[in-house]
Amino acid sequence: MSTVDDVVTRGRSLSTEQFLLIAVGIGVVLLVGDLVLGVLDGSYSISRIGRYVTEGVLYGLIMGLAGIGLSMTYSILNFANFAHGDTITAGAFIGWGGTYLIAGWGAASLGHLALVGPQRGVGGPQLGISITSTPVAIFAGLLLAGVGTALFAVLIDRLAYKPMRGAGGIPLLITSIGVAFALRYLITFVYSSQSRGTTASVPSADLLLVDGYVSLDAHDGTLIAAAVVLMLGVHLMLQRTKLGKAMRAMSDNKDLALVTGIPTERVIRWTWMIGGGLAGSAGYLMVLWTGTIDWQFGWLLLLLIFAAVILGGIGSIYGAIVGGLVIGISMHMSMIWLPGGDFTTITAFLMMILVLLIRPSGLFGGKTTA
Amino acid sequence: MAMLDVAGLDAGYGDLQILSDVDLEVEQDEYVVIVGPNGAGKSTAMKSVFGLTTYMGGAVEFNGEDITGLSPDEIIHKGIGYVPQTENVFPSLTVQENLEMGAYILDEVPEAALQDVFDQFPILRDRRDQKAGSMSGGQQQMVAMGRALMLDPDLLLLDEPSAGLAPDLVDEMFDHVDAINDAGTAVLVVEQNAKEALRRCDRGYVLVQGGNRYVDTGDALLHDEEVRQQFLGG
Repeated sequence: MSTVDDVVTRGRSLSTEQFLLIAVGIGVVLLVGDLVLGVLDGSYSISRIGRYVTEGVLYGLIMGLAGIGLSMTYSILNFANFAHGDTITAGAFIGWGGTYLIAGWGAASLGHLALVGPQRGVGGPQLGISITSTPVAIFAGLLLAGVGTALFAVLIDRLAYKPMRGAGGIPLLITSIGVAFALRYLITFVYSSQSRGTTASVPSADLLLVDGYVSLDAHDGTLIAAAVVLMLGVHLMLQRTKLGKAMRAMSDNKDLALVTGIPTERVIRWTWMIGGGLAGSAGYLMVLWTGTIDWQFGWLLLLLIFAAVILGGIGSIYGAIVGGLVIGISMHMSMIWLPGGDFTTITAFLMMILVLLIRPSGLFGGKTTA
Repeated sequence: MAMLDVAGLDAGYGDLQILSDVDLEVEQDEYVVIVGPNGAGKSTAMKSVFGLTTYMGGAVEFNGEDITGLSPDEIIHKGIGYVPQTENVFPSLTVQENLEMGAYILDEVPEAALQDVFDQFPILRDRRDQKAGSMSGGQQQMVAMGRALMLDPDLLLLDEPSAGLAPDLVDEMFDHVDAINDAGTAVLVVEQNAKEALRRCDRGYVLVQGGNRYVDTGDALLHDEEVRQQFLGG
């Protein structure tokens, strides 16, 4: 009796699974077919697709960079940190305050500069801030965003999460939602809710791609270089250093790490510093790339970062990077068919759902590497 | 004065008391086993030495020093190593990285200790770059023991090293424990495989319901009629 039931249930779930796979397959074939035909008959230009891919990669790098921290705190502290998005915003403001101070020294009051020009008036475009005209201010700002946010993340851990260590994932998740709100409105209180421009325009290179141009400006280049260097740095840190190995050990098995003599609290502190530092850097680079800053861009980015991290396999930093790129590229590619704007968010979550249907643990799931 | 001296220990988890009035002694270079039925508190007694349970009273002294209330990394510093029964390797780390983690409290990885571990378990040298999670149960047990030996402890605590191993590997595991002991490390072993453990050890404790029942040399326990009847299956 029960074996018959089992067989029937298994058969049903198999046919549902296969149906889904077939549906996904048909969808992919249709889209790819349309893309190829469109390119061949000239209705989709290759350079347009090239632009979407480029933008997708840039967006994906930001999400990947920010996602590393989210993935690390997930694998080492076992909770989904909803305050991560607002940490990104906080980092961007901290860093850009530094950039404004250096680039605009004397042009406006110190408070005005440190608060990233809260009123209309002197802002990035007027101060002429860009990687080409004020490279020192940009690098210093990026450094400040990284270091400042690292310390800030440790402070938040001390105040909010450390007293709850070992309370389990759900209480910590709920706490982090509270921290997210507190942070977001603290940012509004300190920096105002005014959205403002931060950079002057920079020279760009138009690269010929078959039937048109793909343009890359100096800030795109800065974003790529900084993101790749930081990602490489995290990779080397995890694989080569004692701290990185201890992080991977802790993400494997916390109890064993403790009885092995690994100072788990110190490793947790470093996890916050590195994850927070990367989040702050990602926020800074996002603002450099888009040229605007506002009080909730990190929060709005967070759900997409979650999609990227989950798609990549939560807990794996390589999954976060690949997931970010997949989400970024597919979001922008979908603008071939969708009107763009917020519609691309649909693509992000559709991609996540599709990947999870086929590989429930995510692309890099099951081989967690901190 | 014994190297490890547990006297009248009461301990458990949270509010739940498991051990009452347990005495345990391990001398320098001694091989001591704890046997007893399931749920007797054997593993709890061992964990209590390593500071992993809730302390409720009594004394735990190591080399004449009170070590109750110390954290595991402090106890490691005093010269005690501990190998848990299950999930005792870091699966995504390589064999060598697992061993390095054992020496985390040192600034440098002790090369001599690493070579000693490789000499003790030659297969680990051949597989040093393999992920520990992809190894067999017996090999993982060697990785776990090797990791605990990286600091050359005075006392090694082994929680059921033969658990879950294929029968032909059990003997090999006991041989490794013998070798570790011969090399000058005192061992305290909790074993389900009571006969074999008592045959090899210097002294044995029989724990029942969270308290001491018998203490004697391994041979004496093996030949004790009561112990045989009740705990060794006749």
